[in-house]
Amino acid sequence: MILNKDLRIKIVELIFNAKEGHLPSSLSIVDIINVLYSKILKFNAKNINSLNRDYFILSKGHGCVAFYVVLEKFNIIKKKDLLKYGSKNSILGGHPDCTQIPGVESSTGSLGHGFPTAVGVSLGLNIQKKKNKVYCLLGDGECQEGTIWEAANIATNRKLSNICSIIDWNGSAKQLMPIENIAAKWKAFGWNVHLADGHNEKDLVKKFNLFLKNKNQKPTVIIAKTIKGKGIPFMQGHGKWHHKVPNLEELKLIKKILKNGKN
Amino acid sequence: MEKIRNTFANLLFKLGKKDKKIIVIVGDISHGIFKNFRESFKDRYFNIGICEPSMVNISAGLSKLKLIPVVHTIAPFLIERSYEQIKLDFGYQKLGINLVSVGGSFDYSKLGCSHHSYSDVSLISHIKNSNIVIPASPLEFQILFKKIYKKNMINYFRLPDNNHGIKIEKRKIIFGKSVKIRSGNKLTICVTGPYLKNVLEAEEKLNLKGKIDILYFHTIKPFDSKSVLKSVKKTKKLITIEDLSAQGGIYNLCVNSCHEVNNIITKQIAIKDFIHSYGSFDDLKKKAGLDTQSIMNIINNL
Repeated sequence: MILNKDLRIKIVELIFNAKEGHLPSSLSIVDIINVLYSKILKFNAKNINSLNRDYFILSKGHGCVAFYVVLEKFNIIKKKDLLKYGSKNSILGGHPDCTQIPGVESSTGSLGHGFPTAVGVSLGLNIQKKKNKVYCLLGDGECQEGTIWEAANIATNRKLSNICSIIDWNGSAKQLMPIENIAAKWKAFGWNVHLADGHNEKDLVKKFNLFLKNKNQKPTVIIAKTIKGKGIPFMQGHGKWHHKVPNLEELKLIKKILKNGKN
Repeated sequence: MEKIRNTFANLLFKLGKKDKKIIVIVGDISHGIFKNFRESFKDRYFNIGICEPSMVNISAGLSKLKLIPVVHTIAPFLIERSYEQIKLDFGYQKLGINLVSVGGSFDYSKLGCSHHSYSDVSLISHIKNSNIVIPASPLEFQILFKKIYKKNMINYFRLPDNNHGIKIEKRKIIFGKSVKIRSGNKLTICVTGPYLKNVLEAEEKLNLKGKIDILYFHTIKPFDSKSVLKSVKKTKKLITIEDLSAQGGIYNLCVNSCHEVNNIITKQIAIKDFIHSYGSFDDLKKKAGLDTQSIMNIINNL
């Protein structure tokens, strides 16, 4: 089943209009981000910098169009700003800029930065004895960066049970380094590990609840099995579509597929 | 005189009693001198591990929460190895951090080039939201750290292992200003770090007292261009003395300060490559041309 068809169509239209964007990556993560904002994350759209908020950091910044459409859906950014994505003087570009966009906690793009920042926020919240939670979405390819494992090590050793990472496990990493064992690696680093279907809302909520109910002192990672380009069969998987912008014919076809709901 | 590194730990302990936002993160160095801080403020001291880029990066998370990270390790690992983290996580995101290094240039002279750092100051200077201080006396560190550590900027303190040993009045130590050590009309010498001592020795041995303007820089950024310009307009001769990279240290800053002055003669003593040797600090200083005799030779040959 294809979830969030409306958001998917928005993502495709925005990327088509701006002639910029990582479409398959955005379609890989949009369901996860939507679940977070609709069911899990504590935030107040009218006071997005409230000290009581939970923190969400999109470490794989290139999937940001999925983030933008969810921020707009929950009234954190304005529709007029969303429609300006990728244009001159827009606050929204090909990677998110936290100095400009309401609700964006970290300027990501260079892989391997957002996650250590999230670990730092977790550590800071512990120092301040606060109960807020920290969520961080990473790419499985991004997990080839050394800083991911440095920060994972820090989180375990500092007993940061207030952080939940989500790995967008769409198989990007495996293209380059076939020996993967991603769950075993996180487990070896001392994290609670849960596998999930990254395109199944019910399953994602269930796994987030395991994090929220967790009583041990370990950080948690949800390894979410996803499909790059989910919802558009000719785009799914890996290859030329990674950073390709659809032409008008392709746009029409994509919208038709999404509207008809064919998987 | 107390080592500046010890002054750093002692001052942090003093400040940490009142300022609960100060979080000290070290990369497995200086545990001994941080004993008081570590034992008194257990939840605000972290010997985080051997992972410098992430040590810097997680500090961005602390800074987001309005805490004040003070991050400390050896210059090549704190700055050069972690440069992308400093540039993006703090420069791009406009967050604040206090980076405090030891082991700048060849201070770790016996450990070889892996532990040397010459381009650290230049690298930080490229980031708009940054300050750079090289305090070569305990008093300079105390005054300048207290002045800027709360600024939501990248504050880089490069602590030399050696003091210059010259008494400078407290009132003359002003962030962003050079200190006029001597006045004269024949030559301007701009110097940073412990080499102030060597410059004064050279001045004395050459009987140049009253003939040279000697400007000492504890603050590299913001740079006191006005004082350099004023002096060089008068002397038309400039020597800069530093243990920083020849491609991005005080020579460049001084020359850029003097574009409006014609016909200046300049000479730079700086580091053009690694000082590829082992030995004492004085051995490597000599090899770098930063000892008193080398400075005398440069003055004589100008």
